[in-house]
Amino acid sequence: MEAAAVEGPGGLFRMFGGLRRAGGKLNGRGRGMVCHVTGNSKVKLPLPRLPMERISQSQLAAMIVLFQIGSSPLFLLASDAGADAWISVLIGMIGGLLLLLLVTLQLYRRMPEEDLFDMIERSFGKVAGSLLTAVYIVYFGYKAVRNVREFGDLMILYLLPSTPLWFILLILMVIAAYAVFQGIEVFSRVAQILLPMIVFVYIALFVALWGTELFDAHRLMPVLDSGLKKPIESALPELISFPFGEMVLFLLFWKYADRRGGTTRTTVLSYLFSGTFIVVTTIFILGSLGPLAEFSVVPLIQIVSLVQTADFIQRLDPVVALLLFGGVFMKMTFYYLGTTLLFSRLFRIGRYAALFPVGALLFAGSMAFRSYMQHIWFGFEKNLKYHFPIFQIVIPVLLLLAAMIRSRFEKNGRTPS
Amino acid sequence: MKLWNVLFRRKRDQGSSQQRKAVKQDGRSGKAVSRDLEEGLSKDVDENLRTIVAELGGSDDLTIRKIDAAGTDSVVVAFIYIDNLVDSAMVNQMLLHPLMSEIGESRSGKSSEEWYRTVRDRVLAVGRVHEMRTPEEALACILEGQTIVFLQGSAAALAADTSGGDKRAVEEPGSQTVIRGPKESFTESIKTNLSLIRRRIKSPRLRVERKTLGKLTQTQIALVYLQGIAKASIVEEVRRRIDRIDTDSILESAYIEEFIQDAPITPFPTIENTERPDAAAAGILEGQIAIIVDGTPFALLAPVSFVRFFQSSEDFYQRYDIATFLRLIRYVAFFVSMLLPAMFIAITTFHQEMLPTPLLISLAAQREGVPFPAIVEALLMEITFEVLREAGVRMPKVIGPAISIVGALVLGQSAVQAGLISAAIVIVVSFTAIASFVIPAINMSIAARLIRFVMMILGGTLGLFGIMSGLMVLLIHLASLRSFGVPYLTPLAPFVWTNWKDTFVRMPHWVMKKRPPTIADGSNLVRQGDDQMPKPPGRKSKF
Repeated sequence: MEAAAVEGPGGLFRMFGGLRRAGGKLNGRGRGMVCHVTGNSKVKLPLPRLPMERISQSQLAAMIVLFQIGSSPLFLLASDAGADAWISVLIGMIGGLLLLLLVTLQLYRRMPEEDLFDMIERSFGKVAGSLLTAVYIVYFGYKAVRNVREFGDLMILYLLPSTPLWFILLILMVIAAYAVFQGIEVFSRVAQILLPMIVFVYIALFVALWGTELFDAHRLMPVLDSGLKKPIESALPELISFPFGEMVLFLLFWKYADRRGGTTRTTVLSYLFSGTFIVVTTIFILGSLGPLAEFSVVPLIQIVSLVQTADFIQRLDPVVALLLFGGVFMKMTFYYLGTTLLFSRLFRIGRYAALFPVGALLFAGSMAFRSYMQHIWFGFEKNLKYHFPIFQIVIPVLLLLAAMIRSRFEKNGRTPS
Repeated sequence: MKLWNVLFRRKRDQGSSQQRKAVKQDGRSGKAVSRDLEEGLSKDVDENLRTIVAELGGSDDLTIRKIDAAGTDSVVVAFIYIDNLVDSAMVNQMLLHPLMSEIGESRSGKSSEEWYRTVRDRVLAVGRVHEMRTPEEALACILEGQTIVFLQGSAAALAADTSGGDKRAVEEPGSQTVIRGPKESFTESIKTNLSLIRRRIKSPRLRVERKTLGKLTQTQIALVYLQGIAKASIVEEVRRRIDRIDTDSILESAYIEEFIQDAPITPFPTIENTERPDAAAAGILEGQIAIIVDGTPFALLAPVSFVRFFQSSEDFYQRYDIATFLRLIRYVAFFVSMLLPAMFIAITTFHQEMLPTPLLISLAAQREGVPFPAIVEALLMEITFEVLREAGVRMPKVIGPAISIVGALVLGQSAVQAGLISAAIVIVVSFTAIASFVIPAINMSIAARLIRFVMMILGGTLGLFGIMSGLMVLLIHLASLRSFGVPYLTPLAPFVWTNWKDTFVRMPHWVMKKRPPTIADGSNLVRQGDDQMPKPPGRKSKF
């Protein structure tokens, strides 16, 4: 309307032209074909090609936060450090941040179009690169397996004591497979919706702990009773391996991000948010349970069962347990998705084709642990110290060095070997 | 359909002569009708009439009126139309009468060419008159309720739009009622419906694109949108999908909906339908495209997102505070209607520890002597209720009270007294049923109704874990849906702040400065000026 009015006679003319055309359509005024003769014309129109999947910056942030929070609040991290465990977590977080800033993000910034597979192949060649990719598939798959198993065991522990483990794991794998089937774009939307809910539950929980005076800051005292050495010892390298160093997985996802310029900022900010969140959770666990926290299977749920507000709300732990496990589910699906993406790249098959073999392997793998305790022991004693740092620190550093050397060569005008 | 498009664009661009050529060139048009229909009309009136009568198989509702020249036997003018499709008074007054009075005077001494032009330009007192060159065109026009006038000696006929016949008056909507707001509803006539929309949006930018669908029904449909506010890409997409439809019949807009929706396998509607012209107008003003179908009062609106189904047009006619409150109630009701029975089953079967002890004891006492497990009990009651509801819709109105007595007394009270079911489940099922009627869009409440049964089975077998798994699958599914390219969960994910003003809350009209950028054209988003908040005199604007 406005446009037509300001354009003077031309605009006015066009306005009436528009009117006439609309009228022509509506009434069939004027000459020519009026009543619509339809032949049985079957028109085959080409479908528009689907563009590459894209995730927005806010979705990326939601993914990172959910991935980082994931299963970490379920455990008391760095329990060796006693009351200073939260300081260990803080140190671990700073260490993880350095790793992220200096290595992982640098890799991405040098090769924003490429995912882990391309980076490895470029630096190590076809044969060694494929081998290394295969090893990464095992690593990501193993992480997924650990999360699947955690989820299943906790479910049996807290919610469904008489349901067979394999059945719960199967259902879990089916849901995760559905999410992976839909792809990263859909999954990032799921993350975006779940994040506020999960964060809200945590905050409500903290408020309840504060309100019911379960939280007692004295349990954190004395700070640094035995000096800084112990917190540092228990933080490195375990806390970098879990959960802070796990950001290496995002080397597979960053390339999907929209508006590239903000990716680094988004990543660091959401990393800081989730890191702070984990520190706060640790403080609350320590402050509410004190030394008991070390002996609890899932300290946070134990705390929830202590919360009693009014007379009506007595046992909320099943609900909270479900939401906590929501985080575990998300993390596991992230790894499943990552494994599938890498698998499909390595074997040059589509995502849908890679989905089922990977899912079957994860399912079989998660049934392989003899018990929850063996699983936890294996994870905390062996993997964190010896295995995971290879994938989170050593190989990324090598990749970065290779990239730096390559760019040096390129600058000197020679082609990289 | 493509034919029509081709025709249409040609007509716009180069005028009618080109267009007629297009008919000839497009070989497809001839498939439906016999070969000679495509050839031009004869100069002889009788021959033309014979062709058309033969094509219609001599149907008895075809009416032919021949007029002789004064004192001779030769037919000079003939009218042909279908009895009940035309407005007979109009045919008599506007066509028959002027022509008969003209015939004596003005015809004499003129060539047939001149006579034809006189009739076309001066005699026929009808707003829309067009030329017909082939029997095929004439046939199509007759079937649409036009009257064809054949003149002896000219190879073109004239079609006058006299369509009329019985139609329902504009009444109050039966499905989407409001307390405050317009009480008009669409009717079965596409003309009425288009006028109802045009009367609400008096902008020259309102575009109406007409198409005909259904090889046998030849149903008219119209795309209505605002040029420059609806996204051009989405308009094109709607057009493309509608042009793809190849079917013999379109009897209701649901036929089209099923052919063009994004996700064929989902319980959730990805196209909105409405009976209310004001709701359609509101949608068009936000950039949606309305599809109006002749023969049904339900118009389609696309694209649409999940949250839109929780808005009622009354939200915008009431104060925003109560509108927000009611909207939140609707979301709650949606989840209640989807999850309440399932939660009840899960908690009483698997997680009794969540209930306070007195409540647990009371529930246990009620269930004493009930022979079924909770899941069977709940499923029985739900199915009973679904049967009642279906009976309520289908039964003749006169026996309504009988059904309600049987339903309420026999199935409710007596079943509890007989110890077949517990009172708690009756309460749960009744509340669920009432909650499902709160959702303004019936197709969304149907989705909740179907999912409820799945959730009940999940809750009965796997407890809260089952319900949670179900919700997770639902969430992934919802996140994967799109409606004409717009993600179904906008503005939640992807997050769009502008839309949040009209999602869970309904902000005052003066706050909603922009149209939703997900649907409306990005270059033209501002819908009102800045600083529209009312500032009554005598009160300082800043305090």
